[in-house]
Amino acid sequence: MAVPRSRILDLMKVQSRIFSTIFNPTALRLGNKVLRQRLRGPSLAAYYPRRVATFKDLKQLYPSHEMYDEQEEDRLEHIQISKSRGKGAPKKKKSAAESRKKPGKKR
Amino acid sequence: MAQFRPKRLDLGCFTNIKIIRDHTKRKVFEEHEPERQALRFMIRNTSLPQRTRAQAQLQLTQMHCYTRPTQIRNRCIMGGKGRGVFRDFRMARYQFRMKALAGQIPGVKKASW
Repeated sequence: MAVPRSRILDLMKVQSRIFSTIFNPTALRLGNKVLRQRLRGPSLAAYYPRRVATFKDLKQLYPSHEMYDEQEEDRLEHIQISKSRGKGAPKKKKSAAESRKKPGKKR
Repeated sequence: MAQFRPKRLDLGCFTNIKIIRDHTKRKVFEEHEPERQALRFMIRNTSLPQRTRAQAQLQLTQMHCYTRPTQIRNRCIMGGKGRGVFRDFRMARYQFRMKALAGQIPGVKKASW
């Protein structure tokens, strides 16, 4: 039993209305597949973990409170020990002349 | 590119310049994705005049390379490596092995039978 073309077209029209798709019986390339794609940006941008509150932020929020930062204290202690052994970083030079290399000392 | 980079870094993982760059690219792509998709739609739509489509093509190719999704690469969040990165764990294979053996990745166990 042959179904007339107009009947099929009507059916396609109803189908596209119900499923809210584009009615395109001649199968033209209308680029709708681009519009159907989901945006990938949000998931791609969420790849790296974001910054969370650090000890520094906490200290800035409550400057009046006394807080103990273990890592910072460790670092200061290490610097103090190396300084007492004479292994610390050199002092900051005040002028350009001071920072210039000593002449006559070649390696 | 420094023009896209925010004043203050919002990363909480290991950072080096490659990670910062990749993160910037991701954010720039997210920002420009609708525009890119609109241009792609115009290019692929054969019912539009040929001139409009060619213009859209030109515009899409002239967008900054940071807005392109192909610039994005998954990097290791522990060490910034670009190769051998497991997508599920976002970690390079050696970092993954260390963490897994230390029991710091839930649900991962060394196979033995």
